[in-house]
Amino acid sequence: MTLLRWLALVLGLALLASRAEAIEVKEVTTPLGIKAWLVEDRSTPVVALSFSFPSGSAGDPENRTGLTSLTASLLTDGAGTLDAQAFKRRQEDASVSLGFGASLDHVGGSLRLLSAHRDEAFELLRLAVSEPRFDPERIEQRRSQMIVGLSQADQRPAAVAQRTLMATLFAGHPYGANPLGTKEDLQAVTAEQIRERAASVLTRNGLIVAAVGDIDAAELSRQLDRAFGGLPAGAVRADLPGWTSPSRPRTVTLERAAPQSAVLIALPAIPRDDPDWHAAVVLAHILGGGQQSRLFTEVREKRGLAYSVSASLRTQRKASLLVISTGSAGEKVPDTLRVIKSELVRLREGATEQELAEARTYLSGSLALLLDSSGSVANLLHGLQVDRQPPDYLDRRAALIGAVKAEDVRRVARRLLREEAMTTVVVGKPPAAAGPAAEP
Amino acid sequence: MRRRAALGGLLAGALLTPRASALAGLLQVNRRPSESFVLPNGLQVVVLPSHRAPIVTQMLVYKVGSADETFGQTGIAHFLEHMMFKGTGTLAAGELSRTVARHGGRDNAFTDFDMTGYHQTIAADRLELVMRMEADRMVNLRILDGELRPERQVVLEERRMRVDNVPSELLDEAARELLFGVHKPYSMPTAGYADDVKKLGVAELAAFYRRFYAPNNAALIVAGDTTAEAVRKLAEKYYGPIPARRVEPRKRPAEGGADLPQRVVRADARVPEPRWSRDFLAPSYRVGETRYAHALQVLTRLFGGSETSRLSRALVARDRIALSARSGYGSASLGLTSFEIAVQPARGRSVAEVEAAVGEQMKMVFDGGVTAEEVERAQNQLLAAAIYSQDSLASGPRLYGSVLATGGSIAQIDGWPQAIAAVRPEDVVAAARHVWRDEGAVTSLLTPAEGWK
Repeated sequence: MTLLRWLALVLGLALLASRAEAIEVKEVTTPLGIKAWLVEDRSTPVVALSFSFPSGSAGDPENRTGLTSLTASLLTDGAGTLDAQAFKRRQEDASVSLGFGASLDHVGGSLRLLSAHRDEAFELLRLAVSEPRFDPERIEQRRSQMIVGLSQADQRPAAVAQRTLMATLFAGHPYGANPLGTKEDLQAVTAEQIRERAASVLTRNGLIVAAVGDIDAAELSRQLDRAFGGLPAGAVRADLPGWTSPSRPRTVTLERAAPQSAVLIALPAIPRDDPDWHAAVVLAHILGGGQQSRLFTEVREKRGLAYSVSASLRTQRKASLLVISTGSAGEKVPDTLRVIKSELVRLREGATEQELAEARTYLSGSLALLLDSSGSVANLLHGLQVDRQPPDYLDRRAALIGAVKAEDVRRVARRLLREEAMTTVVVGKPPAAAGPAAEP
Repeated sequence: MRRRAALGGLLAGALLTPRASALAGLLQVNRRPSESFVLPNGLQVVVLPSHRAPIVTQMLVYKVGSADETFGQTGIAHFLEHMMFKGTGTLAAGELSRTVARHGGRDNAFTDFDMTGYHQTIAADRLELVMRMEADRMVNLRILDGELRPERQVVLEERRMRVDNVPSELLDEAARELLFGVHKPYSMPTAGYADDVKKLGVAELAAFYRRFYAPNNAALIVAGDTTAEAVRKLAEKYYGPIPARRVEPRKRPAEGGADLPQRVVRADARVPEPRWSRDFLAPSYRVGETRYAHALQVLTRLFGGSETSRLSRALVARDRIALSARSGYGSASLGLTSFEIAVQPARGRSVAEVEAAVGEQMKMVFDGGVTAEEVERAQNQLLAAAIYSQDSLASGPRLYGSVLATGGSIAQIDGWPQAIAAVRPEDVVAAARHVWRDEGAVTSLLTPAEGWK
């Protein structure tokens, strides 16, 4: 039995398949002190690595939004003696996929390689994080691409809604700034600022690594020390400021010439370490977690108001949200909002035992479906470390979800589903301009 | 123009025996065996065992898609796909998905030009459950007016989200009409024209269902923690009793929309930056000069398939005419397909500059050919992608489904690595000469409201 298979079993399929086995995600500490989680699986000659550095776009300096994203995108645009073309060519010749990106709290990277090219793949990773070149012409190209991307995003209702939601909720907080920057800020970024940002982000302090696939602990140790060992330890970073969640309802409406309006509703949620966390996961699933959810049934199936409607928890280091997302033709938006709100009120009374039981089995089993590939397992293990969970969390998760009772769901529903804390964003044609519905 | 995902290059389950020595390093792959058989009622079954995790994926692909519709009833294949999640004699509306979720699984469906697919991923010991329900809705679907009406609104919202809200998709609709001809199989949108969708009712959907949904017009692919023997037993039990039905052969034109160069422009206030693309009518594995299908996969890889491709090197890295430049080709199609070149110009560059630069790169292929080294690198990349795809459980069913639904065979999938490795530089040039012709090619410009110089 492969380790992926073990992993699947403890992730909840054991409940269904009645085959339980102990799982041990190996914790690897290299001679240079780099820590990693490893799941060894020899069934395909592929290794996937998911890693991150603990400072993201929320660490952009004032008036330089987008700096961290720009910096991350340039890491694979040439390093050491290799210019961008030479670097990409080495990547392609060894069939190595390597990419970096910034989220609010992290600069993350992923590496995927064929075992036959292991040394070359980790050498390219080493070059990217320790000797990036930041050649002027590549900076200009990436900068232009980002600026074009911004104006394109500004025309997509869903992207505008997302941006507006964050700006509204986090006004005055680093999370309120666009991780992809503004045109003015991006134009002002200098090569020196990119180098400084890279130097402050790319350190061993807080580095998180998950590896999956055709590699053992000793070899992983050796390769991680090669790739990351040359990085400075790094200083302890200043913490981000805290966030005060809204205490009154707000609705922001932006007009765009789009036949379908994008709708986002956000409620402050609870942090990952709150004792009610797993009850909140169950609640979000019952509310909008799939085709059996209340929102799907009421908004889509019964009324045909939207094609997609869902609810999910989003956690950052300093904030946690429950976000409901949907899209309706402009004239249907008022109805859609009315139905969603009444479902929030109704769920405050709690879920049925049947809904609860179905949510439990789904949430236990569905995690195992994430074991589609080495890369998806690496992402899962990386995410658990970001959430500060121990490696044996996988053993315990099914039990934690299984222990959620009806009264827990009702309690957390009353904590979360509060109309007075609701922020609503609608981007599209307002109902008056959109005209009457085509069909009753 | 994105007509479909280019699946031709991602082949799982393939035995790699390439010719070039540089490919040797990629040979450390064990063959993933596939087993296949046909039930007496004509249902084709493929089993792709993989025992990494105790999960299975069932995919049932019907050999019918939006290209089998007639003008006036566009969107019917997709609308029917939505209604397949409603009830049968024994399943209530939505019960199939609810049951899958209750057992910790996931399900979904998709409609494409040539195929309609339904799939579930679930714990391996629940395969029987999903097979019973999938077989049930192959013959027992009940389409009720009360359920169809709200679902029609859902379908129209999906079209708004995917097409009407996206200017490039609206341009693609117009470009397809020029490339393939007005009201032709591949020019009518999969989502349907909104006016048609509003008119579709129970009678039309039921007739389409009876016409195309039959075991002899479908392929079943099961991947994951199971065996051919187990799948055969279950398939015989649940799909076996469903009688075959006469299904008319599907028709696809052997010609495109026009024999002159075509141009289509969409100036849209929602578009902030212009975009240029050109589509050429191209052979697929099935129609046209099919012998070029593999060489075209190598051509698109080396010409515009990566950041070190010819287009990227010249237009992006060297001349700064473009922010990105790429090409695309999908070979799995029942009819003709397209070879696309797409450019996101750099600020301040003109249409003329972009067209001249692309034209120069095409001419260099015609006049100077392509090098053996370039071809080998492209082959390596295609084969590496195939190895990576073996690392994913989801990729096998997708690949087999798209090949089988477009008239391909398992032998074709098994032979793909050899066919790719056998492509020579002169084949690539010949394929380029065959496809890159001005006659019938469609140039699409997406521009801001005020246009593009």
